[in-house]
Amino acid sequence: MSAALSIRGLVVAPGAAPVLRGVELEIAAGRRAVLVGPSGAGKTTLLRAIAGLEVVSEGTIELGGRRLDRRVPAHRRRVSVVFQEPRLLPHARIDDNVALPLRAAGVPRRERRQRAGERLEEVGLAGMASRSVRGLSGGEQQRVALARALCGEPELLLLDEPLAAVDPNRRESLRRLIARVQHDRRLTTLVITHDRAEAAELAETLALMLEGRIVQQAEPREIFERPATAAVARFFGTGTILRGTVAGGQLHLDDGALIPLPGPDGPATCVIRPEAVSVDDAGPLRAEVAEAIYAGTHVRLVLHRGDLRITAHVAPETQVSVGSEIGLDLPADRLWRIPDEDPHVSAGS
Amino acid sequence: MRRPSVVVGAAGLLLVLPLAALTARAFADVWRAPALLPQRWGLRGFDAAFAGDLAGSALLASLGVGVTATLLALAIAWPAARVLGERRLRHPAAVFLLLAMPLLVPPYAVGVGLTEWFLRLGLTGHGAELLLAHLAVVLPYSVLLLLSGFGPEVRWLEEMGRAAGLSSADRLRWITVPALRPTLAAAALVSFLVSWSQYGTSLAVAPAQPTLPVLLLPFVGADPQAAAALSLLFLAPALLALLAAVRAMKAPA
Repeated sequence: MSAALSIRGLVVAPGAAPVLRGVELEIAAGRRAVLVGPSGAGKTTLLRAIAGLEVVSEGTIELGGRRLDRRVPAHRRRVSVVFQEPRLLPHARIDDNVALPLRAAGVPRRERRQRAGERLEEVGLAGMASRSVRGLSGGEQQRVALARALCGEPELLLLDEPLAAVDPNRRESLRRLIARVQHDRRLTTLVITHDRAEAAELAETLALMLEGRIVQQAEPREIFERPATAAVARFFGTGTILRGTVAGGQLHLDDGALIPLPGPDGPATCVIRPEAVSVDDAGPLRAEVAEAIYAGTHVRLVLHRGDLRITAHVAPETQVSVGSEIGLDLPADRLWRIPDEDPHVSAGS
Repeated sequence: MRRPSVVVGAAGLLLVLPLAALTARAFADVWRAPALLPQRWGLRGFDAAFAGDLAGSALLASLGVGVTATLLALAIAWPAARVLGERRLRHPAAVFLLLAMPLLVPPYAVGVGLTEWFLRLGLTGHGAELLLAHLAVVLPYSVLLLLSGFGPEVRWLEEMGRAAGLSSADRLRWITVPALRPTLAAAALVSFLVSWSQYGTSLAVAPAQPTLPVLLLPFVGADPQAAAALSLLFLAPALLALLAAVRAMKAPA
């Protein structure tokens, strides 16, 4: 049975400085959330705190209404973890590795092995129960680790960079497996990754962590197209960030260019995705082509206008020469004005 | 592929040839050089070595102190090796130096120094002084061998065990000990053999309570056949310990 996860004001400070600085995170029961962020942001610390492997200084973690404070040890949380390294017991058979949570629960060996076999079938490793874990590929080891996590019948599944130690050509099938297992079981799941593309592909709900805080939690499309801050936009490579002032339905860039943008007057930071920018000689913005790279499905343009750097993905047949100046159209309905962003404060990324 | 078998063969010969000569000497009532084989076989050496009850009591003393010192050393070394192996100490060099001290000083000198303390602490005459002296010599080997088994991999496995629902006792039984089994077996073997072959320390601490090496040495010059017979007795438990350790290293959980 899955349960909703609710984290409020979580502070974890294993050393002198806190790693988590007031984390707020909600995952509805049965949903798959992905926590993404750069290395050192505190993602793994959050996972460890939820699992009961890290001491919490402040804040609360609730799972299905149960409060998981320091009086609830890791083995009583009904939380399973798949670590970045598969962490399989080298001295045990595959099914005995999978059945470890059942052994802890005192389930007899015969039943343990039967249930471990079922879990192995679920992760696509049927018939491998009695083999040694030595000699398994990285992907197979991670599947065994996933089967072990499922064997504990958890209310919450945590996966820490589960694809990191897997060959690139096997990542796709493991990613699909994680998504399928989560979906079939309606199991509340939190996946941690630093890979933006992997995050977008796996997430039903996506949360970005920067410097120990969740800065935005939303559906992937929302977070990619409507970032809450410039830092979010930069992390997801949203494209071009424009700073200026809106007045009379136009965005006045600092260099004097005008781009149509309805909305309230005042300072503004806007972002636009590369595929929304089009080449148009009559467009309101002119810039010099610094790079034009054919990428099969599109041509990737990098354009400079003073200090402003604009990226655009245009149709593959588009002909532009590096060094030339071209006009650009930035449609107002594709420009996202970041709410409450002070354009004169540089947000860290 | 041939080179390893040649090396193993040469190493085997180096082990087998002295053992063969030792065995022949133990059963040779008459064996004059340069003859390759004894002129007369017999059990005179065993009669001389095992006359009275000394050999039996020395064997029991050696076994008792060896097994007890090994168990105690492993129990003490386990947490110490864990702290050192997981690099939790800020200044491990000082600890390594302390550990190496009994190995840097000749065993007899260690024994003499310990005897002075045992006398002043009233620890003589109970058999405890021999055990404590052996423990002092054995402990550094136990710690140094065990610490090679501790490291991030074992810590990761234990952490996985916590998350998988295992209590601390279950983690020790099902994860830590099996993961460390080869290292533990090696540490136990070396600890036992160091205690088993300890001569200088035993002689200095408890000359009245002879262990096998203490009993053996006077025979070496006086009666080589009796010394060879005693050496065979000396060798048997050591070989059994070696076989048990190899078996423990290979055994599944």
